[in-house]
Amino acid sequence: MVAEATGVQSTVQEKPKTYTANLWPQNWNIHPTEWDILIVSTLLKVLLFPAYHSTDFEVHRNWLAITHSLPISQWYYDTTSEWTLDYPPFFAFFEKLLSIPASFIDPKIVDLNNLNYDSWSVVAYQRSTVIITELLLGAVALKFVRGAVDPATQHIISASLFLHPGFLIIDHIHFQYNGFLFGILLWSILMARNGNKLASGILFAVLLNFKHIYMYIAPAYFIYLLRSFCLSPSGQLQIKNFLSLANAVIGVFIASLGPFLLMGQIPQLLSRLFPFTRGLNHAYWAPNAWALVTALDRVLLKYIQRSSANIAINEEGIRSTSRGLVGDTVFAVIPNVKPIHTFTITIAFQSVILFKLWRNPTYKSFLTALTLCGYVSYLFGWHVHEKAVLLVLIPLSLLAAERQAYFRTFILASVAGIFSLFPLLFTPAESIIKVLYSFLWLTFVYTALSKRVYEFPKSLSYVILDMVEKIYLTGFVFLQLFVMLFPILSARSKHAVEEIASTDDSMAFLPLMVTSVYCAVGIVWGFIRLMFVYLNEETTYQGQLSTIQ
Amino acid sequence: MADFADASTPSPSSFHKRKIHIHTSQANQDINNGEAPFTPEILAPTPQRHLLESHVRQSWLRTPPLSPVSSRAISPTSTRAISRSPQQPKSFSSFLDHEPTEHGTAHGIPRMHSTESLNSRPKTVENSTARRFVRWTHRQGQRNWSLLFVCLASHLLKYCIGLGSYSGHGTPPMYGDYEAQRHWMELTIHLPTRQWYTYDLQYWGLDYPPLTAYHSWLCGLIGSLINPEWFALKSSRGIETESSKVFMRSTVVISDALVYIPAVFMFSRTWLGTRSKRTQNLAFIAMLFNPALLLIDFGHFQYNSVMLGFTILSVSLFAMSQDLLGAIAFVLSLGFKQMALYYAPAIGSYLLAKCLLLGPTIGGRLFIRLAITTILAFTVLFLPFFPPFAPLFSTTQCDHTDSSDCTITYLTVLDPISRIFPFARGLFEDKVANFWCASNVLIKWRVWAAPNLLIKASGGLTLLGFLPGVLSMMSAGWRLRTWQSNSSGESTTSTPIPILSLLPYALLNSSLSFFLFSFQVHEKTILLPLMPLMLLSSGAVPESTTFAWGALVTNVAVFSMWPLLKRDGLGLQYFILLGAWNRAIGYNPFKEPVLSLKSFVQLLSISVHIAAAVLHILELLFDPPSRYPDLFTVLNVLISTPVFFCTWLWSIKCCIEVSWALGGLTGSGTSSGARPSSRAASVVSAGDEGVVLPNLREKLDGNHKGDRARTVSLGFSHSKQRTRRTSSSVSFSRASGVRAMSTEPS
Repeated sequence: MVAEATGVQSTVQEKPKTYTANLWPQNWNIHPTEWDILIVSTLLKVLLFPAYHSTDFEVHRNWLAITHSLPISQWYYDTTSEWTLDYPPFFAFFEKLLSIPASFIDPKIVDLNNLNYDSWSVVAYQRSTVIITELLLGAVALKFVRGAVDPATQHIISASLFLHPGFLIIDHIHFQYNGFLFGILLWSILMARNGNKLASGILFAVLLNFKHIYMYIAPAYFIYLLRSFCLSPSGQLQIKNFLSLANAVIGVFIASLGPFLLMGQIPQLLSRLFPFTRGLNHAYWAPNAWALVTALDRVLLKYIQRSSANIAINEEGIRSTSRGLVGDTVFAVIPNVKPIHTFTITIAFQSVILFKLWRNPTYKSFLTALTLCGYVSYLFGWHVHEKAVLLVLIPLSLLAAERQAYFRTFILASVAGIFSLFPLLFTPAESIIKVLYSFLWLTFVYTALSKRVYEFPKSLSYVILDMVEKIYLTGFVFLQLFVMLFPILSARSKHAVEEIASTDDSMAFLPLMVTSVYCAVGIVWGFIRLMFVYLNEETTYQGQLSTIQ
Repeated sequence: MADFADASTPSPSSFHKRKIHIHTSQANQDINNGEAPFTPEILAPTPQRHLLESHVRQSWLRTPPLSPVSSRAISPTSTRAISRSPQQPKSFSSFLDHEPTEHGTAHGIPRMHSTESLNSRPKTVENSTARRFVRWTHRQGQRNWSLLFVCLASHLLKYCIGLGSYSGHGTPPMYGDYEAQRHWMELTIHLPTRQWYTYDLQYWGLDYPPLTAYHSWLCGLIGSLINPEWFALKSSRGIETESSKVFMRSTVVISDALVYIPAVFMFSRTWLGTRSKRTQNLAFIAMLFNPALLLIDFGHFQYNSVMLGFTILSVSLFAMSQDLLGAIAFVLSLGFKQMALYYAPAIGSYLLAKCLLLGPTIGGRLFIRLAITTILAFTVLFLPFFPPFAPLFSTTQCDHTDSSDCTITYLTVLDPISRIFPFARGLFEDKVANFWCASNVLIKWRVWAAPNLLIKASGGLTLLGFLPGVLSMMSAGWRLRTWQSNSSGESTTSTPIPILSLLPYALLNSSLSFFLFSFQVHEKTILLPLMPLMLLSSGAVPESTTFAWGALVTNVAVFSMWPLLKRDGLGLQYFILLGAWNRAIGYNPFKEPVLSLKSFVQLLSISVHIAAAVLHILELLFDPPSRYPDLFTVLNVLISTPVFFCTWLWSIKCCIEVSWALGGLTGSGTSSGARPSSRAASVVSAGDEGVVLPNLREKLDGNHKGDRARTVSLGFSHSKQRTRRTSSSVSFSRASGVRAMSTEPS
């Protein structure tokens, strides 16, 4: 924890010396309100124990069994369950660690052949591990407050991060360990803020070896650390810094991949981590640019079919539309998109962002670039999952109170992004909970932050923009009503006309499609906003974070 | 959240400043914003939360009769005209207020001038999550919207509790309370009204009053619009699909939101009208998140909050002097669940005492109006069982004779009534923490006595149990009567009626006596005594005895339902809600070091909590011996019953004290100052109940006739003109305040 100690010392606010290097919460001066948030949220999460859990629950249980009952050489080869291990080695080690208490609590949890085991013991155990490991996120969020430029504002942001509906939906109901992983990411960002860039780089390397999806934002890290840590402001290579960072990162990778390297399993491991056999869109389209393109394709197809215009239609694409939920997306009218196209677009956008970061490697610029890198990958990536939106929302939250423009982007992207997670939970009871919780969270964040960043609109265009965005946000209420009422109404109409049941499947897909497209509009608009602010105004548009070098 | 870190402990100086600010600018504020509650202009330099003073002011500002010496009765219209004005009910919260008596002085004024009490205050203000939340929202300028936020949060919590199991989940063939409620929805939408109370009684026949039936009918109607399979006749029995469960849960949440939440809001705005907005909001939150109610309604599955909500509504309406509407609300409560009868002695005696107090002319008129309203309301409730909607008489096959053509003819309306009051069941069913079940450990009542005798005994004991509350209410009403005294008749015009302050205690007393002594009590019934206790303690400061009783009894009530909740599979929810609740209101029985325990209730609390914790640990570690399979349940009963018994005794004590303080000091308006002050001395020294003090002071002030006459006229003119207060009135109030003080013994 040397890294952390030096980090705290170098913060803007002076702290007593005794404060450093204390990991025991007693020395953290945790305010009663912070305890309140922790206790209330934890109790709420415990109440969610009996809630619905997705197949990811069984995935993680199976990984507990794999890592517990098989030797390390078998981990990436085992196919007893269809949910094979496809996370990097650190996560496997993490599961190995979790499997030790599990085997004491209930040996059936770690039984490899005990598929789809979901007794009370395993539910309680796995759900508690999520809550406990998420404490890392809480601790980092707290540390963000200590030594912040504006602790009062950072308090709200930290609370909003810890209470983020994304974590509640994905981790505590759907089941994953994002809270823990984002805790590491935020820790790494915190180190960058505190000026300890070496620790920041190491933590990010560790994070990459927990879950490789964080590669989305790796370019921003690479440029930032290279420019501001390995090079002096005048462009001189700082050999000592460079070597220490390089060695540390290589060390982390060796610790993770070393055993598999020795066993010669790297190709197998990589084939598990990067399955390139999937399609452009996930089953439910993640609300990104491709969702808009796909929707456009469907609309064009309908139009062409109606008007019988003389345009070549891909037959495969027509079948793709009628399949709805499953399988690849193949366009009927628009030329098909290949992985190489998505990569080209992603890299093109990212290089613009990274160029700007190279020119201005401050903390705030880094944070924005990080968010934008995640944003670009989310919008244009191949087979993006809707859960990846957290990669945008979480770093963006740190920028939320910067200025009005950031705040509005944050609100727009958060509302659209969180709403796009709703289809993950389709059971009725959890649906009510997700909507209520997200609404409460939004109310809390909005009322607490909006006044702090309020700026008087400078021109008529701002007023109009403001109106349009408000109308868009209001639309979510109606979208939610539509999504809720559609199944009931369609079921009733089905009762009335029993015969016309052939169109059911595509109709069942309709609420998902509408949700995806509507959210995509907001998320893409948020990206445009943030890009604009970053490229044009970032240096002149000063907020609280710009004081950090 | 603006200043998480620095907000918690404002420096003494800032605290002081704020208080001063209030005193100097309050008059202006009230004039400026019209919606602000009316605060009389004669102000003593005391902090806002100290209600003794505010009450004194109120008493001065009573609208005088047309002529001070007139013996003419006050016309009812004038009474009601005053009562309708929003500011009038304010004075009532003072009755509920319990001041901490740390420094041995219960006389408000000296305390507030001592700087040490100013310093010690902020430390205790923010000891709970709810307080911190309320404080934060107020700093954000979200006084009113925060309540909406809290309501939504409570809905979230209710649905989260609802994720768990419910009564009778997966236990065919009879299932449990959940299936009963669902079955009623099923039968009410499919059968004509006449058959509701006669259809297949073996399978959860309807045995709640008609309002429940109508409510079920409405819910069933909406439900079968969404999915008719949920409520298909016969075939839907025992349906346990995910969506039907969510629908059923939603009906409880929505009913709660429509009845209980508005009622609690109204209570916090009427009864706690003179308290600060923060206290009102805090009380609202405390009432909303009562763990016992949450667990039973949203976990176990019932609609108790509707019945309790109607009762709270009626109590709030009484505080607004809307007696007729209040009576209707109480009839609705009775019509929803016959269990509300537990409150009937208190409510009835209050209304009767009010009639008594007002005298034969006005009171008699009120009595007749109340009687007609109540009877009408009941008639409307039971209307479908009277002609022309149903034949007056029905016939049934008599089952005990051999001749098959024997029929019995009876009034149709007896169908519901005989279902509502089942005397055929035993003294008690499950283990419940009341007198009969607890003493059953020693005396096997059911072996020892005949059922008829037991019914009579339980009836008699219940009657004895609630008699103190009723009697104290009536005697207060009698002693405060105004129709004989030829003095100024001050009590008459004071609205609402002073005996209202007795009502929560009387409610507690009567419902507890029913719970402890009556026939056929369920463990869930503890919710009824809990409600008036919540009313009392929700606005109390954390150091007061009332707060301690409220928190203790809430915890014990939840604990007493543990066997039930465990059977329902709600163990997780039980622990979570208990923990969250105590954290939220800032209650920790072990906070005080054992040696410094000051009061009986603290001692009781600490021992009961330890016993409960030990019992939980034992239950976790060991299985009950096969000879006594109910061992833990019986131990649970034995731990809980003494607490309820002590609470019952405490409620009697409070009833008597408050009643004495109300009626004892007035006597006839012409009495000399000597007698009252000696009585006051005994009250002050005997009880730590701050509740007596406002009234006491009021009466004492009343004795200074000369002063009062002048003050009244001053106050009256001020209230009319709404001018800024003059320095003369301030000094005047101080003078009489000091004089009032001097009559109290040192």
